[in-house]
Amino acid sequence: MTEIFGVPTQALFGQLLLGLINGSFYALLSLGLAVIFGMLNIINFTHGAQYMMGAFGAYLVGQYFGIGYWPSLIVAPLLVGLTGVIIERTMLKRLYHLDHLYGLLFTFGVALIIQGYFRYYYGSSGLPYPIPPSLAGGTRLTLFDQPIMFLPWYRAWVIFFSLAICITTWYLIERTSLGAKLRAATENPTIVRTFGVNVPLLITLTYGAGVGLAGLAGVLAAPIYQVSPLMGADLINVVFAVVVIGGMGSILGSVVTGFVLGLIEGLTKVFYPEASTTVVFVIMAIVLLVRPAGLFGKAATTTTGVESTSVGSGLDGGRVLNVVMAAMAVVLMAAPFVVYPQFLMKALCIAMFALSVNLLLGYAGLLSFGHAMFLGSAGYVSAHAAKVWGLTPELAILAGTATAAAMGVVVGAIAIRRQGIYFAMTTLAFAQMVYFLALQVPFTHGEDGIQAVPRGKMFGFIDLNNQLSMYYVVLAIFMFALLMVHRIIHSPFGEVLKSIRENEARAISLGYKTDRYKLMAFVLSTTICGLGGATKAIVFQLASLTDVTSGTSGEAVLMTLVGGLGTLLGPIVGAFVITGMETYLAEWGQWVTVIQGVVFVVCVMAFRRGLVGEIAYRTGKPL
Amino acid sequence: MYNKPTWVSVMAEIRTSATPGAPLLSVKNLQSWYGESHILHGVNLEVRQGEVVTLLGRNGAGKTTTLKSIMGVVRKRQGSITKGGTETIGLPSERIAKLGIALCPEERAIFSSLTVRENLMLPPKLRDGGMSVDEIFSLFPNLKERIGTSQGTKLSGGEQQMLAIGRILRTGADLLLLDEPTEGLAPVIIQQIGHTIRKLKERGLTILLVEQNFRFASTVADRFYVMDHGVIVDGFKAADLEANMPKLHEYLGV
Ligand SMILES: Nc1ncnc2c1ncn2[C@@H]1O[C@H](COP(=O)(O)OP(=O)(O)OP(=O)(O)O)[C@@H](O)[C@H]1O
Ligand SMILES: [Mg+2]
Repeated sequence: MTEIFGVPTQALFGQLLLGLINGSFYALLSLGLAVIFGMLNIINFTHGAQYMMGAFGAYLVGQYFGIGYWPSLIVAPLLVGLTGVIIERTMLKRLYHLDHLYGLLFTFGVALIIQGYFRYYYGSSGLPYPIPPSLAGGTRLTLFDQPIMFLPWYRAWVIFFSLAICITTWYLIERTSLGAKLRAATENPTIVRTFGVNVPLLITLTYGAGVGLAGLAGVLAAPIYQVSPLMGADLINVVFAVVVIGGMGSILGSVVTGFVLGLIEGLTKVFYPEASTTVVFVIMAIVLLVRPAGLFGKAATTTTGVESTSVGSGLDGGRVLNVVMAAMAVVLMAAPFVVYPQFLMKALCIAMFALSVNLLLGYAGLLSFGHAMFLGSAGYVSAHAAKVWGLTPELAILAGTATAAAMGVVVGAIAIRRQGIYFAMTTLAFAQMVYFLALQVPFTHGEDGIQAVPRGKMFGFIDLNNQLSMYYVVLAIFMFALLMVHRIIHSPFGEVLKSIRENEARAISLGYKTDRYKLMAFVLSTTICGLGGATKAIVFQLASLTDVTSGTSGEAVLMTLVGGLGTLLGPIVGAFVITGMETYLAEWGQWVTVIQGVVFVVCVMAFRRGLVGEIAYRTGKPL
Repeated sequence: MYNKPTWVSVMAEIRTSATPGAPLLSVKNLQSWYGESHILHGVNLEVRQGEVVTLLGRNGAGKTTTLKSIMGVVRKRQGSITKGGTETIGLPSERIAKLGIALCPEERAIFSSLTVRENLMLPPKLRDGGMSVDEIFSLFPNLKERIGTSQGTKLSGGEQQMLAIGRILRTGADLLLLDEPTEGLAPVIIQQIGHTIRKLKERGLTILLVEQNFRFASTVADRFYVMDHGVIVDGFKAADLEANMPKLHEYLGV
């Protein structure tokens, strides 16, 4: 009788309860995201970090000021909300006149800073936070004298309180005069201002409130999960999928979807535990196929228009670019005698990755926030082919590249049906699905990855175990990828892509089937990305989980941004800068993440042309 | 008992009394830009307390831009705009609204995610004289019947126009900027709107009206300005309308 998970019905209800708890957090977090998205049109990538800050806030005020759980429930969200207000007023506000993708990138950078900082100070192990004494213990629920399950008071409180917060927020927005102001300001801020309403202040407070909700969820979570710097990063990926399923910006949609998906996850744990971490993503894929706008979303389209540096053109400019490319090839040929070949090869593989992201973002205006799925999958397949199937390296690389291309067809076909932020979120969610699959399917070997991949002999006679031979093969592959991108962007096809980026409606009216062009660009991009990932696995004799994480996807975007969006050479420079930072600052540990975050923020705020873009702009030559 | 007038009470007297002739709005050498394009090239006009002044001009002359510049919706502007003596160039719209100016935009801007009631109640009361819902209903009886409508944009064009004018009366503004309130409406509705404008004038409100339809405008206006290519090119009293007809036809190209 004391056994809780022994009896099937008890197991069922136990898992349902767990599902409801998870659902409560999904709902609270996606609610905050929806509130922010509705008003600012920004997907707040800092949300997970702010949830974590809420938990830490409760922990820290307890440690230093002896403030208990109940006051923390108010104090910590207020503090987190206040940091949100400061971030909005000092920085985010300056990005509203730009494409919304910059807001996304900015919040992503801030998340890196916060998470890196907390990991530096608190490591990645969890800190315990006690359940408040008034909610200790629980009750045994029975039905017809049959025990159903044991219900801990604290868990009951979490479910009840989350639900109450969700309903209150919904009421506030849909039924009050303040809510009417918010909704009106979403539709037409200019006119609302002429009524004497301080809309900029309203936006600041909305961001503060949305962030405060994340903090509140963090405090609620502290006694259930341990307080740790990574608690938000793990959770938020699922929440983004919830947001995509529910329909971005829908208050009701996020709450209902959050709770329902929590329950479905719980049920899956009972009946088919292996699928419990991926079920949300499977549902997401189905929903996207049937209703691209999400279950509760309105089919809205946003225009894209990232600032990419396209200056000068014509023969003269093209000649400069050719000279620079030739010079670069010469330098790279000599480089292994000066710099570690291992580092160079890494940077070149990563540069192909960045080139592929830029092909989409810089030339077609499509921000893929999940490109790591192609990099990592290609790596896995190429490693598996070389190690288990015993294929020669060239065939292994080909297999990996083909995998990425095939995945590109599937993901691309679904993702290009949405634009702007919606496109980014869709790719991100797919990448999460791939990440969880990679964690679970046997052939990828989970956390260990595929190790000791043989390099073998290329075409049967080039022994890749010789470091220099390996290097020149990588360089050849890289130059091939670079010339391919060069050809693509300077072809008529590339011109059409650019006109789609600038004004898709116009391109459509000119008779272009823009979806076909976008899909083609997407597949070309994933192919190049796969080439980089497959080569990397052979070079490092390793295919690992790191290569499929969302952090890796973010890094590629960062490299593109640092080097210069929409420049041919920018991503390469960016790849060398960022890879160099990671390699040579490795002993700084978590500070590297913080620095990356700072670079992200600085680039978005003040240096949107990037290094190469700036040079191209000053000299008037396309680079 | 005799109350010695204080300086404050005298000033209040001067402000509130409808002294015809005191300029409520004064625009001097107003220049405005949309991004890089220079639209207004030195607009000069004055609206005195209690007047209804109509701004005429052909399509693209810059009438809407003038109203938007006064309201602060167009931010990039130079010159001088004073309301009751206070300079408003450089102020954001929400501050200008608090000085007692309200704009009813050409596109009406009824919110589709708000009910009719929410649309009506949206503008807050900013100053004394802000009308209650009942007062607004007495001016626009149709609105009262349609107040339960679930979505603002489900109203007819005429009803939306009345809602758009009605709701700005809540702020207590004493200077209304109305941008083509009769555009695309049936003659009966136009008459109704003319009737409302005269009632608002009787209540002491000052109105700057943009119109293409000068037949309609002549039924409500005290004075006219004519605008072309971003400047005021002419002005005359309502009484002189007939005498100015030939010129007007030329300006408006009708
Ligand atoms: N948002 C904008 N951006 C750039 N130019 C604009 C914008 N809005 C208006 N213009 C230009 O400014 C000029 C004046 O426009 P405005 O709307 O003030 O004219 P109007 O007199 O109100 O015309 P109408 O009678 O058609 O309403 C026009 O040439 C128009 O093309
Ligand atoms: Mg106009």
